[in-house]
Amino acid sequence: MDCIKKKVNEELKAGWIGPNLQCDYHPSHFTGQDCTFCYCPFYPCEDTDLGDFIVGRRGQRIWNCSDCLFIHRTPVVKYVLSEVERLGITEAGDPRFADILASAKDKFYRKGRALMVVGATSDAGKSVTVAALCRILHRRGFLVAPFKSQNMSLNSKVTRSGSEIAMIQTLQAKAAGLKNPDAHMNPILLKPKGDTVSQVMVLGQPYGDYNVTDYYGEFVPGPGREIVRENIDFLKGRYDFVIMEGAGSPAEINIYDRDIANMGAAVIADADVILVVNVEWGGSFAYALGTIELIPEQDRKRIKGVVFNNLRGRPDGFKSAIPEFERISGIPVLGVVPHADVTLPSEDSEALRGVRGKGEGKCIVGVIRFPRIANFTDLDPLFLEDVSVRFVEKPSDLDGVDAVVLPGTKNTVNDLRWMDERGISDRIRGLRGKVPIVGICGGYQMMGSVLDDSQGIEGGVPGTVMQGLGLFDNRTEFGEYSKRIVNNTAEMLVGDGGEVTGYELHMGTTEVAEKPLFEIKNLFTKDRQLEGSVREDEMLFGTYFHGVFDRMPFRKYFLSFVTHDGERVDTSDTRDYDDIVEDNIERLADVFEENLDMDAVLRILGVGE
Amino acid sequence: MKGILVLGTSSGAGKTTFCAMLCRYLARKGMDPAPFKGLNLSLNSYATKDGGEIGIGQAFQAWSAGLEPETDMNPVLLKPSGNGVIQMVLNGKPEMDISESRPMDRGTAMSEAAAAMERLGGKHGILVCEGSGSPVELNMMDRDIANVGLMRETGINAILVGDIERGGVFAAIYGTWRLIPEDVRGQLRGFVINRFRGDASILRDGIVRIEELTGMRCLGVLPYMDLRFPEEDSLSDSSGRLSGQDARSAFMSNIDEFTDAAEAAGFDFDSLLGMSGE
Repeated sequence: MDCIKKKVNEELKAGWIGPNLQCDYHPSHFTGQDCTFCYCPFYPCEDTDLGDFIVGRRGQRIWNCSDCLFIHRTPVVKYVLSEVERLGITEAGDPRFADILASAKDKFYRKGRALMVVGATSDAGKSVTVAALCRILHRRGFLVAPFKSQNMSLNSKVTRSGSEIAMIQTLQAKAAGLKNPDAHMNPILLKPKGDTVSQVMVLGQPYGDYNVTDYYGEFVPGPGREIVRENIDFLKGRYDFVIMEGAGSPAEINIYDRDIANMGAAVIADADVILVVNVEWGGSFAYALGTIELIPEQDRKRIKGVVFNNLRGRPDGFKSAIPEFERISGIPVLGVVPHADVTLPSEDSEALRGVRGKGEGKCIVGVIRFPRIANFTDLDPLFLEDVSVRFVEKPSDLDGVDAVVLPGTKNTVNDLRWMDERGISDRIRGLRGKVPIVGICGGYQMMGSVLDDSQGIEGGVPGTVMQGLGLFDNRTEFGEYSKRIVNNTAEMLVGDGGEVTGYELHMGTTEVAEKPLFEIKNLFTKDRQLEGSVREDEMLFGTYFHGVFDRMPFRKYFLSFVTHDGERVDTSDTRDYDDIVEDNIERLADVFEENLDMDAVLRILGVGE
Repeated sequence: MKGILVLGTSSGAGKTTFCAMLCRYLARKGMDPAPFKGLNLSLNSYATKDGGEIGIGQAFQAWSAGLEPETDMNPVLLKPSGNGVIQMVLNGKPEMDISESRPMDRGTAMSEAAAAMERLGGKHGILVCEGSGSPVELNMMDRDIANVGLMRETGINAILVGDIERGGVFAAIYGTWRLIPEDVRGQLRGFVINRFRGDASILRDGIVRIEELTGMRCLGVLPYMDLRFPEEDSLSDSSGRLSGQDARSAFMSNIDEFTDAAEAAGFDFDSLLGMSGE
């Protein structure tokens, strides 16, 4: 406490500084944050709107306000400083700070308001609409959080505190200018394990495996609703707006009363709703009207507008029918948004469905298209390079490839068996030493010599011990039902060095018998931890790090081994993927802002009330 | 003349393969079916034996019916040639280039389509007619030929195919029914849910509700099948495209498989025949 007091005294002396661009950690919470009170003068306020008590390592009660952003908003800071001056406060810990907090809260603290974006179909454009709204509102100075109660996706990311949430919510958080997406933004994550069973993650941690019937029969009416309520409340308490994303269509009338992803969540959050319809496939007026009218009347009242999205070509003809649609539906159309040519991470395998390849470069990178491919956003940075990515589903797809990528999978054992049965494994063994081969997570496990699933934890069949591809002498064991979830920064131990950032998400542990690829830096413990495997002479690389290609150093290093007819991949334009995504979020927001009736959107959000 | 018009809730809903399957089924039953599509917007065409040009979908459907493709099966074919220009093929022969400044004469196209249908219907036991895109694009409905246009012109009954794979299939079916003009709405008699994975009993409550709301009858839920079919629109240039010599035989074995699956799923062909008139 004395340490905090000392810091606050320094802050009071320094006065207003706004965003501290000189600080190494800036911005630690959100772009544009006010850093005047890096240490809060109200700590510990013990106001449950702003924080809660947690139990410390030695069992003591600690006031935790790590998610509170109130003191980082400039109007609050300026008001607090003016009150400090008016009351003549000079020392931290002055009891009158409690009065200042009370009046500051009275003046500036409001519970946030929720808006829900539902889609007439999957791939309607819900998630990009949420991302665009987050950025548009962030640009206008609001604190915004994305939210999706229940997301079914095999593309996840790890938060700073080690929770696993859907990748798309981390992207939306980035659009909102937030630096630390957390599990509140996607409290329920469903990761399909097979055709009917999903692993349910709650607040970023494994909760259990459910089939469809049990999920809707037991989980949703049991803990499900309460989880949604608690997390929406949490976000509303800390942000001006919570922009919620639905899942699939809200008008699946066969399961309507069991739905906590669409209108069910809107009711819990008391949110108004915008319906997004993808125009591309045709029938969009029917999809829109059918969706609106099949939703029961008491919930239909929440639908405040329709957005027709992804229009290609000239809009005049389509727009001419809008007044007729508004007349029939009674719902205003907020905009017709043209197809936005942006590069953003792909949300789910739908985006890969039917796609045989991407890119037009000479060098061909063969990516094994596992049936249970997971975290394939790992590949997005590669799509932007001067290579052609080809998805491999049979041995002949490997003809003429200049590199091989074994991506992540939700089920290493079953997907290795799939590769063995199709004869892909033998073809890959034959490419050893001829072209570079890189394995990520599940693909890395497969590159080893033995995969021991004697207990049947990964594949479900006890007594399973499989031979890997044998490219590394590593041995992976699926010993217990537990999952490693960490987010790390590491230093490359090969090539010219450089930093990589990545996250690990896997079952099983690997006994490594190879030279390591990375060294993980732990800022606090100074521990030296090695990661990955490499045999440079045979061009073999393997790592547990998802996102390994995001930053430039490893991508450039890997591509330096890739040649086609002696010609190398041109990496002179290579950029960090994060920067590319940032540019694309800006472009996306521009397209939406230009084509949406923003006054109407702001009215729906209650701005200016 | 017996016939049924198969409409889709969107492009790529599965109309073309559904019609081919229906042709196959009816051919097996010895009912002498023939495929028909009043107007087809497609880049992929097929050259008939007498040197005419029709949409590739109708060629595959003809083979499914055990017939040789002919131009009456697709009297109007629109082939986008870029820059907003579309080549109009009428009764198998290039007729004119159409564009915004030089639009197609709808009246001529409609009457030519109806005449071809009449000729074809006179020679065969039952016509399996395919619609085009969604029938309820509010901005284009009054100029329509292959969907609402054909319903008005000929009085043919229609069924609606909805694709469940993208979700929102109940909304799509109900919304299409709602937006179909009232004068032909009574001709819309049934619907089909296409590309379903899993246990179809989960859909029951939804299906019953749509039947109650619209008076349409659900003819069946067809399973998702990983089949390779010729694709018609520029939209679906996915892995479904077939080419070369093998295309026809691969398609034929696929359509047999799909027909078997439809029968196994208990598809209500009898009710469909009951809607096909006399």
